[in-house]
Amino acid sequence: MFQPNTLRIGTEQAMKKKVHFKAEEADTGLGRFKGLEVRIGEIVDDEWDESMGPTPMPGPTTLRSWDHKILTKYQPSYMPYCQVCCLCTMGKCDLTGTKRGACGINMKAQQGRIVLAAANIGTAAHLAHSRHLIDHLIDEYGPRTKLIQGPGTEIHAPISRLVTGMRPRTLEDASIIVDYCESQLAHGLSATATGQEGSWLDFESKVFHIGMIDHLALEIADLAQVSTLDMPQADPDAPLVEAGIGNMDPNKATILTIGHNIIPAAAITDYITEKRLGEMVEVGGICCTAWDITRRDPTAKVIGPISWQLRFIRAGMADLVVVDEQCVRTNVVEEAQKVLAPVISTSDKAVMGLPDRSDDPVDSIVEELVTRKIPGAYITDHKKVGEIAVKVALAMKPIRAKKKFLPSKKKIQKMAETCKKCMECVRACPNDQNVQEAVLAAATGNMEPLREIYNNCIGCARCESACPNEYDLHSWMVVAGEQDCANETYMVRTGRGAIQDTEIRKVGQPIVFGEIPGVIAHVGCANYPGGGQDVHDMAEEFAKRRFIIVTSGCAAMSAGIVKDENGESIYQRRSGDFDAGSVVNVGSCVANSHIAGATIKIAAIFAKRNLRGNYAEIADYIYNRVGAVGISWGAMSQKAVAIAAGFWRLGIPVIVGPHGSKYRRMLLGRADKERDWMVYDARTGERMLTAPGPEHLFYAAETVAEANVLTAKLCIRPNDTGKGRSIKLSHYVDLHETNYGFFPEDIWKYIRRDADIPITLKDKILGQMKDNRWKERPTPDPTLLKEQIHGGGQ
Amino acid sequence: MEVASNMMKATPWQTGEICGTDSAKALTKADVLKRDLKKCKKPLLIVGSETRTEKYGKGTMLDYIIELSNAGNIPVIATGGVIKDFLEKGFENAKSVGAMEMAYFLQDPEWKGPHGTGPYDMIYTYGIPYFMQWTLLSSVMNFAPEITPIAIGRHFQPHAKWSCPNLKEKNWHVLLKELVTLVGGGST
Ligand code: SF4
Ligand code: SF4
Ligand code: SF4
Repeated sequence: MFQPNTLRIGTEQAMKKKVHFKAEEADTGLGRFKGLEVRIGEIVDDEWDESMGPTPMPGPTTLRSWDHKILTKYQPSYMPYCQVCCLCTMGKCDLTGTKRGACGINMKAQQGRIVLAAANIGTAAHLAHSRHLIDHLIDEYGPRTKLIQGPGTEIHAPISRLVTGMRPRTLEDASIIVDYCESQLAHGLSATATGQEGSWLDFESKVFHIGMIDHLALEIADLAQVSTLDMPQADPDAPLVEAGIGNMDPNKATILTIGHNIIPAAAITDYITEKRLGEMVEVGGICCTAWDITRRDPTAKVIGPISWQLRFIRAGMADLVVVDEQCVRTNVVEEAQKVLAPVISTSDKAVMGLPDRSDDPVDSIVEELVTRKIPGAYITDHKKVGEIAVKVALAMKPIRAKKKFLPSKKKIQKMAETCKKCMECVRACPNDQNVQEAVLAAATGNMEPLREIYNNCIGCARCESACPNEYDLHSWMVVAGEQDCANETYMVRTGRGAIQDTEIRKVGQPIVFGEIPGVIAHVGCANYPGGGQDVHDMAEEFAKRRFIIVTSGCAAMSAGIVKDENGESIYQRRSGDFDAGSVVNVGSCVANSHIAGATIKIAAIFAKRNLRGNYAEIADYIYNRVGAVGISWGAMSQKAVAIAAGFWRLGIPVIVGPHGSKYRRMLLGRADKERDWMVYDARTGERMLTAPGPEHLFYAAETVAEANVLTAKLCIRPNDTGKGRSIKLSHYVDLHETNYGFFPEDIWKYIRRDADIPITLKDKILGQMKDNRWKERPTPDPTLLKEQIHGGGQ
Repeated sequence: MEVASNMMKATPWQTGEICGTDSAKALTKADVLKRDLKKCKKPLLIVGSETRTEKYGKGTMLDYIIELSNAGNIPVIATGGVIKDFLEKGFENAKSVGAMEMAYFLQDPEWKGPHGTGPYDMIYTYGIPYFMQWTLLSSVMNFAPEITPIAIGRHFQPHAKWSCPNLKEKNWHVLLKELVTLVGGGST
């Protein structure tokens, strides 16, 4: 087992001696880690101009005191989603109110435990993806293959540096970091076992730890694929690619890829290129695989977010479905069978019940799939997948071409006449869509209400599962929305990867001073309360206010699949530079690491802070100075929790959409409690009052209006200069007045001295300051860490 | 009172949203609240974004909430930005707080609220998206036992003490009228 502290000693010794670390030089305690130590020797790097910080490769409790600082300011507000626990055979235990379970756990700790379980699950998904990529790429290209983030990225792999103290230069180094992540995940998961952790605070601290590990796994995964698979490398001009169902060419055989792991999809596009079959077959992606295939091959297409799986399959547009891992609809085989599309599963995490054909000859697999002897096949050899997928799609195209898979409007009308008006469809719908009313309208020949639902629907098909008449309600919506579907033709900028140091150099100061009012990241899944357009609208609202907008994953698609009056998407209108007013798509979920990475690099480049193994200091810097906010409007998965948790530990607030309330705990500040907003002034060591900013660390907003007001407010940081604070306040006031209809009553709390007052709002604010007996206060050099006080806080 | 025939059982509106061992009592007549109203002296109305969209009489539920607030002199917390609609109607007894903030603040037995009239011992909830109200009420049920939560929307919220068992609109409107009378000190 990997022991972080022991490893730290080993690494430091090796660095001091500037020689490769050898197992026999270690003390006896290290003997257990022989295999690892040999590899550690290979990453010893004597070119560092930074000394090692205090916490390289932290264990589960190493950063506990930092977590506690954050968690006492932003306490968990638990909203149990379930009052009982059924995780062991002493239960079910009723934990309502003050009751305890048979193991002694109470409701608060149980909620913390569930959040930790979710973070562990999410991190496991990312980490196993990362592990698969690294092992595969090592097999393919060799362990010494260089890791390259791109031009202008001297601060290569900022999360790795910060967390591990390492600068991964090769795939083999990356593998060591993944080893470390795996050890930490095992600890994190073990803490959720019955009879382990018992305090909510420690559960939550472990949530943060696992979130940090998640970011590390993401960084390694993206770094490895960007280095080896011809993807844009930190490129603000990453290509514009076609997106939307309407962009799929009906004359070509169509391969639909779903998931997150590019390896099988890359084998398919490679095969198409090699055999020059681009005129006959095309590949479209749903979910993050879409970004990664288009990063590698810009002729591939982004079909849309995760919520479009069913509509695309039901529409019968895919001649073959290839699934890799994560966010795949779990009954994809059954759905694909209905439209005569074979399925190839490729990941050991999502075999989908298909027979393993990995070792069989290509032609026999193709034959079995095309003749539908088997509904699909599980194939682990990716090269084979490439060839088989193309051959099967080409063979299926003429077989499927003349078939109609969706019912006609007439047929729908006829069927709808027997609706039982039982409301089961409505009661099953997570978005409270009035499906019954739409069905009754369809019975009269009016398809418009079904079409409206199509635009607000997350494609879950719960309505039809509930329908006693077994109507294919989601398919009906697809029929009603046929024209919208055909009109879905957009150009979106594919993922660029990391942010360059040179870009950070340019914007670091205005961000830290508050003059660029914030960096807003739209990330995550597509469990939207009312359609994906909300993401676009929020991104546009802040881009036009000259915030920096960063996007990734399904949110990056939703932001792009809206056209303006000139027919252009947000990515066509706005630049991909990391700069004010830009909209920067970093890529798939694994590219979220570049968003965290950019905030970390601000500390390194602008403030010249050391990153190596120096987590708490850098998180403290980011928390106090970098006005970044993450928004995951459609957060759905455990992976979204893990990503959010990585941001929480860095002190970056996250807003989710209303469905995010089902994560069952928020992290909220109390603006009315002054003692919660004290910081040290690093110059004097004095404890000083600051404004309540950022006010919350994790919040589910009910509406876009609420999210917009909160986003502006959560960009406020203790370190803002007068000018920066006044700019941030002007946006907050403006959005508050527009969305809430009145001047916010808490502006006075954010004024430290006259310079903070936005000039055009002076009269109103002065009045408010007077009413609240405002007193001037100095701006500290803010820190939550005693050790950051000059002279070490002695 | 008549309830929709297939909805006689007080089951959660969204069918998957089952909770735990405790579940709200069916609120079909305002009269059943008499004892709680007598006991609780500090009520608060918490209403969300659906207040502006759900129809009531010739207007929307905004009109009703204003009527209810005026009848019982109950301060209103407007969540999700619906404050704007109250202000446009010239209603002054509403303050803006987020739904998730409310779920947290109510756990503090000393929270006085933006009207400064707390701590509250009774809340009426309405118009926050079903699942969000569900989670808000769960936090109150588990961590604010001194508060009596009453969900006055049409759809059953199991974490409240009292909640309408998925009433038909017509019957729900009758109940809402009774409630105005009751909080105003009249008899229904
Ligand atoms: S498929 Fe759409 S309409 Fe049906 S339950 Fe899901 S979100 Fe609602
Ligand atoms: S569930 Fe089916 S039968 Fe019942 S109302 Fe909805 S569409 Fe009609
Ligand atoms: S809660 Fe999530 S994981 Fe569970 S069945 Fe529903 S969609 Fe699937």
